[in-house]
Amino acid sequence: MKQNGILQTNAKNRGITLDPRTKLLLLLTMSVFVLGGAGETTMPWLFPCLCVMPFLLLLSAKKIKTAIIYLVVYSAAYLAYFCFESATTGFVHFLLLGTAGIVTRFLPSVMIGAYVVSTTTVSEFTAGMLRMHLSEKLIIPLSVMFRFFPTVADEFRAINSAMRMRGISFGGKHFSKMLEYRFIPLMTCSVQIGNELSAAALTRGLGGNVRRTNVCDIGFRAQDYAVFALCAVPYVFLILGWTEVIG
Amino acid sequence: MIKLKNVNFRYANSDSGALNNVSLNIQTGECILLCGESGCGKTTVTRLVNSLIPHYYEGEISGNVLVDGLNITESELYETARKVGSVFQNPRSQFFCVDTTSEIAFGCENMGLPVKEIMARITDSAEQLHIKDLLGRSIFELSGGEKQKVACASVSAVQPDVFVLDEPTSNLDIDSINELKKTLLLWKSQGKTILIAEHRLYWLLNICDRVIYMKNGQIESDMPMSQFQSLSADKISSMGLRTLSMNDLPYPRKAVRSNGILSLHNYVYRYGDKEALNIPKLSLPLGGVIAVIGHNGAGKSTFSKCLCGLTKKFKGTVLIDSQECGNRKMLKKSYMVMQDVNHQLFCETVSDEIRLGMNEENADNADGISRGLDLTDFSERHPMSLSGGQKQRVAIASAVLADKEILIFDEPTSGLDFNRMEQTAALLSSLQNHRTVFIVTHDPELIVRCCTHILHLENGQCVENYALTPDTMPLFNAFFNQSS
Repeated sequence: MKQNGILQTNAKNRGITLDPRTKLLLLLTMSVFVLGGAGETTMPWLFPCLCVMPFLLLLSAKKIKTAIIYLVVYSAAYLAYFCFESATTGFVHFLLLGTAGIVTRFLPSVMIGAYVVSTTTVSEFTAGMLRMHLSEKLIIPLSVMFRFFPTVADEFRAINSAMRMRGISFGGKHFSKMLEYRFIPLMTCSVQIGNELSAAALTRGLGGNVRRTNVCDIGFRAQDYAVFALCAVPYVFLILGWTEVIG
Repeated sequence: MIKLKNVNFRYANSDSGALNNVSLNIQTGECILLCGESGCGKTTVTRLVNSLIPHYYEGEISGNVLVDGLNITESELYETARKVGSVFQNPRSQFFCVDTTSEIAFGCENMGLPVKEIMARITDSAEQLHIKDLLGRSIFELSGGEKQKVACASVSAVQPDVFVLDEPTSNLDIDSINELKKTLLLWKSQGKTILIAEHRLYWLLNICDRVIYMKNGQIESDMPMSQFQSLSADKISSMGLRTLSMNDLPYPRKAVRSNGILSLHNYVYRYGDKEALNIPKLSLPLGGVIAVIGHNGAGKSTFSKCLCGLTKKFKGTVLIDSQECGNRKMLKKSYMVMQDVNHQLFCETVSDEIRLGMNEENADNADGISRGLDLTDFSERHPMSLSGGQKQRVAIASAVLADKEILIFDEPTSGLDFNRMEQTAALLSSLQNHRTVFIVTHDPELIVRCCTHILHLENGQCVENYALTPDTMPLFNAFFNQSS
């Protein structure tokens, strides 16, 4: 019995469908403005607005638990940043602000990443890349990578069980070697699976001389344009900000 | 359709599986069984036909291989891919996509077929193989048998003329094998040419027309199926092949000694709303070799996980020698040898591996035990460089040295030929009376050779629980025959 991890695409249950290219744009926007902190000083209101996006998207994908945890953790960090900024000093101040800063900066991008990976199937992803006219030399390795995440997660679980049966765990006597013991079998198994996977894909004609078709029905719909409009806002303000500064 | 002429082949980094002057001629519409011991070269032949050799697996090759007039050494892999469809042994690693529909579309997409045509082909092959209910699912939710069906459908959708199957049943239960049999019969009725390399033979008797027996990289004999079927059971096993008939199973002869009772209490486990296991109370012989049988989804793997103490929130207990053991104690007392042993070998040398987690009092025993399991010669080798059977023995040695009282084996003989299966059976038998051994298996040949007790699970419940003796053999046969 396998449980659906955060990185495993469930084809049936994906909420509103966004085009993979739209998702990439979302990812880029989040990275530029939240993680990269562009326009932070000119547009302080932007930050929290963008950070609501992962919450809404996760809700739409019916990952309710993840969405709520994200909201709680993010709000806590955000509040901490404002409420305690002036109230604390010294080491506590440093620690608190550091943690809150990292969480508010990284968490939204990580969550949007998780949303993208868990709601996009390999073939949708490939279809999106093809439409962007990227080379197959780039698309194939990337799609293999996509395919690999859930497999590695699966292997990881099995290895974890094996380690527990051998008494290798936190607090066990082999604690110091835990990392080594985990990665040796993980690497061997991944290499083996990767080999078999490549062989299987090749016997099914991957890398042929004709242009691949794709059965995925991707394309821009109303919701995609809505996301575009939303994502455009910060860029527009950023550029306006620049021109004013320059002018 | 397929023509091999004086083919010699040697893998670049391995001696086993080499071919020695093999010539073979297969007509269109023939269904061929390739059999022989492990390492005899049958997989190599399948790889030549689907042209993974020489394009993916490297080595020295001479001679000619023609598939439908196409010389495989001169043509590209994707050209052969349109003519030859391949189904592999491990359903876990032959899927390129993560959902079933795109998986079935994958081969057609690579050929650049128009979307409409692909959609039609998906519907067709899903209908023909009766897997319409599996469309649009994540492959991680599917059972091994279902995965193999999807694999067949995705090959079928490309509509190749030749189908090559390399040990397709080694991870399947009896029901799934029956399903695969139907698929093969369908392909045969469509006039396709089929080539199967396989260890389990009984299910192929009505399917294949011709049997090619290989030994040491050469074709030893090539006969029609009728002649092959008339060979005596002794002859078949002396050739190192698995049984042709489920009725030829030898009766267990072992005297069962009573060592006491191991009893399970409150073995109840749910995944969310789904009840996976429901065994309120069960008594099993301590020191016995217990086969855990049942169809897919019967709860066998949940049962073994619970027994190992690997499931959190599981409340069941085991009573051994009037000592009550919960999850935490069972984790100390039991050890599972997984189907993929690679998951559980961590160290740099075999001798480190078997000593990891060893009970200090057993230090003197370590050499004795590795001698008993034939591991002394490899003690300085890296465990990952060993063969499958040797890895299994390393895992057993480490469990024995760690004082594990309960050993659980998950499909220890999947994909093993007759001799290796017998070796494994002997090894498992030798543990009898010293350890309590549970074997989760679909292999009746293994069971009659080493098990003393049968535990039959179905839908998470214990249906039958009996000692395996000549008297109870009919009960046992009924399970394997009803389903085959």
